Amino acid sequence: MSGTVTKRPGPADPAEAKKCADWIVSVAAIRDREAFACLFAHFAPRVKAYMFRFGGNSETAEELAQEAMMQVWRKAHLFDPSKAAASTWIFTIARNLRIDRFRQRKHIEVDDSDTALIVDTDPLADEVVSRDEHAVLVKAAMEELPTDQKIVVELSFFEDCSHSEIAERLDIPLGTVKSRLRLALGKMRGGLEDLA
Amino acid sequence: MNIKHHPTDQTLMDYASGTMSQAMELLVATHMTVCPHCRDKVAEFETMGGAVLENVTRMEMADHSLDHVMAMLERETANENPAVQELPMTRRIAVGESITGSAMPSIPTPLVKFLPDNVLSLEDVPWKTLAPGVKHFQLKSVESKGTVRLMKIAPGVSIPDHGHHGHEMTLLLKGSYIDDIGRFRAGDVADLDDDVDHQPIADTAEECICLIATDAPMKFSGFLPKLLQPFFGI
Repeated sequence: MSGTVTKRPGPADPAEAKKCADWIVSVAAIRDREAFACLFAHFAPRVKAYMFRFGGNSETAEELAQEAMMQVWRKAHLFDPSKAAASTWIFTIARNLRIDRFRQRKHIEVDDSDTALIVDTDPLADEVVSRDEHAVLVKAAMEELPTDQKIVVELSFFEDCSHSEIAERLDIPLGTVKSRLRLALGKMRGGLEDLA
Repeated sequence: MNIKHHPTDQTLMDYASGTMSQAMELLVATHMTVCPHCRDKVAEFETMGGAVLENVTRMEMADHSLDHVMAMLERETANENPAVQELPMTRRIAVGESITGSAMPSIPTPLVKFLPDNVLSLEDVPWKTLAPGVKHFQLKSVESKGTVRLMKIAPGVSIPDHGHHGHEMTLLLKGSYIDDIGRFRAGDVADLDDDVDHQPIADTAEECICLIATDAPMKFSGFLPKLLQPFFGI
């Protein structure tokens, strides 16, 4: 039944985040089973927790976490470490699988080969920071948030509830949810600029 | 395309977290196709999602979970045909392309998928007249929550002053309109909360085509004609 719950911190420094990215690249390149086992150990229990928060059933969460990790294996060749950190990429896999399973539809995404796609002719100058470093900065900025703001951000990503449902859950007015989110986003962006 | 009006950060965050209605998601993905700025922002919010995933209290996997997964993958890999693998993700390289004219060069793929098969341009949409100078086409979404429709408004025609039931977003696909908030051109998004009243007017010699998504339940689908009724005398 439901497994015991353990807490282990995620990558605290870019080197560790890069290790996760390298594992995915290695899975793509040589079907590296050892690298996959490392990815599984790191991400499967997190994805299971994510699915559990949306599905509320540990068997379903287990099955979906397994399915998500199988997609990591199958789609590893689509992972581009210059575009996303490992945690970002696996989050999107989990999100899309969750929508697919719980809402019986596909998440609607931009098609990168779309002839209508307009590309940025003036890319941002902040590309000097790698995606792994960036992901670690975002995580650090989030940990710095005051608890009330952090909860609203976490609920936004980890529960299928609208802002008004978050308001109900926390028993605060909708306006407060919105202002906390706005503050959190502002702070994270400001924090990132300070850190970068 | 010179986009001035974007979805709010909260809307983009809901898109990234995957907690918005299909109707809204369709509109945001269509806008993002022509808006690198919002694509960057969504990537930022997805990074945030990854950070929340890193921080979550882990739930231990069942015994032999990895062995089970590995066995399934071994079987798959044995039958793997490299030729049928999906192509790697490649974003097109910036070539400094400039988009001229006031319409999108072609209909973005996310929207195309919701149109009837034979519709290749906005002209081919099987429009239904709603009122003089106003045509619409209701898109089919899988989810019952929310509605999404295309509207075509003749030059100089105004939509009556209206508030919103819930969250409403409008994406301009062709032409332009002006309202209390400002001037909207192709690619722009008006992201309005329920407390905003506005009265858009198609303000050039060109007709205006837009995509409108709401989070209001289906039962409100008749509210627009009802509002238009007294105004156009139908």
